[in-house]
Amino acid sequence: MKRILITLCGLAAFGATVPSIAQTTNAKDDVELLISQIQTDKRAIVLRTLDLNDAQVAAFTPIYDAYQAEMKVLMERSGAMLDKFAANYGSMTDEAAKEILKEALKLRDDRNATMRKYAKKLERELPAVKVLQWVQIENKLNTLLDMQAAAVIPIAQ
Amino acid sequence: MKFGPLAVALVVTAFPAVSMAQDAGLATDEQILLKQVMTDRKAVFAKNLGLTESESAAFWPIYDEYEAKVKPLNDRFLANVNRFAENYDTLSEADAAVILKEKMAIEKEREALKQKYTSKVAKALPANKALRYAQLETRIDQMVRRDVYGLIPLAK
Repeated sequence: MKRILITLCGLAAFGATVPSIAQTTNAKDDVELLISQIQTDKRAIVLRTLDLNDAQVAAFTPIYDAYQAEMKVLMERSGAMLDKFAANYGSMTDEAAKEILKEALKLRDDRNATMRKYAKKLERELPAVKVLQWVQIENKLNTLLDMQAAAVIPIAQ
Repeated sequence: MKFGPLAVALVVTAFPAVSMAQDAGLATDEQILLKQVMTDRKAVFAKNLGLTESESAAFWPIYDEYEAKVKPLNDRFLANVNRFAENYDTLSEADAAVILKEKMAIEKEREALKQKYTSKVAKALPANKALRYAQLETRIDQMVRRDVYGLIPLAK
């Protein structure tokens, strides 16, 4: 139970609203729901802030949705990593710590690579100023979400 | 928009500097913590990693080398922000493309350095301490990023 709670809190801290957790029947559904809420909220903020015209929205949204789909996979991997961290917390073996560290580094690398890949795709469709704005917004949101997540994850003992 | 003070503020925020303490905008506990972190990043690691003497002997040369390699990237980051500041009110498509390209290149190189040196730390320390190092490094970076991004307005 402690594992599930830490995983959910870690993901919940990414920005989703928590009350609806109780409406689902198992932990996997809860994680899916949280990720869905986070991505829906983020999409709304990004679209509102970018202030695109109709043609730009039509070009932007398919690319952004594909980006979100790839980010969803990374968030699911983050959830699994948090689950592993929680399961081993307090009696962390060298082997478990190595695996968690390796996955954490890989996740960070994959997330940055995903963002670079989609910035390049957007550059072909939108004015450079809009792409720069998008990267700025993503960085701001991701940093805030990361900080909230980190606040509920203890430092390894 | 007058952007000069922003660049100055960014220099103060992005790098450990005693002038952080004079910033009138800082109020919360977290910001006080940030000031402490920025003033002596090394002290945070020294205090929280709990290294033995032999672990210290293995860790600090790696850490110092990492800091030395990061510094040119910080300089490039600042130059890019200054370019953004200078062009902010009349940012052309060409300016934005150049700034975005440099921003992404810096991020990529910074991440590669982090990966490389965290791997070195992982070889030099017990795995749980290496994991703790990576967590602390990430949290410090998040705090710095949060404050730096808070100072830089969106392109217009």
